[in-house]
Amino acid sequence: MKDAFSTYHPLVNFIYFAVVILFSMFLMHPVFLCISFASAFLYSLRLNGKRALKFNLLFLVPFLLVMALLNPLFNHQGVTILFYASSGNPITLEAVLYGFAAALMFVSVICWFSCYNAVMTSDKFLYLFGRVIPALSLVFSMVLRFVPRFKAQICVITRAQACMGRDLHSGNLWQRMKNGVQILSIMVTWALEHSIETATSMKSRGYGLPGRTVFSIFYPEKRDRIFLLLFFALSVFILAGFACGIVFVRYYPALGFTGFAPVPVIFYIGYLALCLLPLIIDLVEEHQWKRFVSIT
Amino acid sequence: MQYDATVTNKKTRTVLTGLLFLLAVPILLAVGVFILHDRSYYLISLLLIICSMIPFVWLFERRKPQARELVVLATLIALAVAGRAAFFMLPQVKPVIAIVILAAVCLGAESGFLVGAMTGFVSNFFFGQGPWTPWQMFCFGLIGYLAGVLVQSGWLPAKKIPLCIFGGLATFLIYGGIMDPAAVLVAQGYLSWQTVLVAYGAGVWFNLIHAVSTVVFLFLFYGPLTQKLERVKNKYGLLDG
Repeated sequence: MKDAFSTYHPLVNFIYFAVVILFSMFLMHPVFLCISFASAFLYSLRLNGKRALKFNLLFLVPFLLVMALLNPLFNHQGVTILFYASSGNPITLEAVLYGFAAALMFVSVICWFSCYNAVMTSDKFLYLFGRVIPALSLVFSMVLRFVPRFKAQICVITRAQACMGRDLHSGNLWQRMKNGVQILSIMVTWALEHSIETATSMKSRGYGLPGRTVFSIFYPEKRDRIFLLLFFALSVFILAGFACGIVFVRYYPALGFTGFAPVPVIFYIGYLALCLLPLIIDLVEEHQWKRFVSIT
Repeated sequence: MQYDATVTNKKTRTVLTGLLFLLAVPILLAVGVFILHDRSYYLISLLLIICSMIPFVWLFERRKPQARELVVLATLIALAVAGRAAFFMLPQVKPVIAIVILAAVCLGAESGFLVGAMTGFVSNFFFGQGPWTPWQMFCFGLIGYLAGVLVQSGWLPAKKIPLCIFGGLATFLIYGGIMDPAAVLVAQGYLSWQTVLVAYGAGVWFNLIHAVSTVVFLFLFYGPLTQKLERVKNKYGLLDG
């Protein structure tokens, strides 16, 4: 089933991910990092299923550990000395903790990007930037079409060449390489020739003439406005918390951050809500759908 | 007329780049130091990179390029993206830089930059976007732009062997030289001499493979690709300058 947040307006999707990724990068508070990582992890599971779980466990978790252990080897700030390395440099608790926080930040950013890749498909990106940078957006959409087309064409060329005994599997290594280059050369000629044909066709259909409109299937709805409003309110709230020093974190010289007093906890909950918004939307939608199906 | 357009374009670009570097860069650095307390290196470097790419994009859009130009650029970008996909299984064996350099040599510095930056951007739609995308776009674009400028100004002869040497060096020094510290910055949030040196040490073999593969691709494709591009250029009269 398609994720409900993906059906929102592309601008909403884009703003959401841009802000959440920036927040994950710059809010180095341990609680915020954990919230961001957990939410990104859950959302990527929801979007990509088992594939995401495999990737997260096989790649991200080992990376997290390695990065966390690397930092103290290069960074000797901090007041709590754990022990001295064989080179005589102190290994500090603060450096270990900062390394862990930085690694957690990186891993959650990667996780958010995997969600971004699933939600912000190229058509949405094209829609968003088609008005700002029309020429490059057109290039972009053409490239997306050309890549699979070239792949198909290269199969055609390879088969045709194989009929003449010039395929990649006959002859010695030199011969094979020559055949390979020959196939690519034919490919490039075809591609350039084909591109001129496309351009001529575009021109004769009126590309670049004034007064042409843009087709799009995305319209802003009421739910998009509500989402944005809620999202901006939460973002401003969290930023205000950091700006006023209600929530803070400091790694060097000694670790210090706001714990679980009632006031900071409100901000943690706010951030949790912000990070979980897409997941909540999706779950609510699914619940509504199931109820609807069971009624009818 | 075409000549006039390119000359004014170059002038505008110089002015615009100058303005950006004299105004935007110091402002960004000041914001980084005074407002963000010299902590958010990633954000500041990201903004600087975006600033450096704006003049190209803006000028390209402003001169309302012809359909032919767009399609030829798209074709080259698609070839580079497909090439990157074809060698996906071999780490760091990428024909992207070779194609970018040849595009710059035949079609000029601006096209070289656009082919490079767009290849970095679009290929990540196939391989996955991440915090590294802007850096890749910048590196590919910069190499393309440099190749175009050096060839146009006569510093770099547009022949096979000099281009191979340039390609190898540019891949190793510019791409590797920027991407390795960028990886550290993305993962750690700050840079220090030790971590950068470790990143270079760990990346030296990857960069070497990348550089060698670029040289090999340039050596193989220089003849066919330039010949074909020149032919299309002459036959249809496009993208001069």
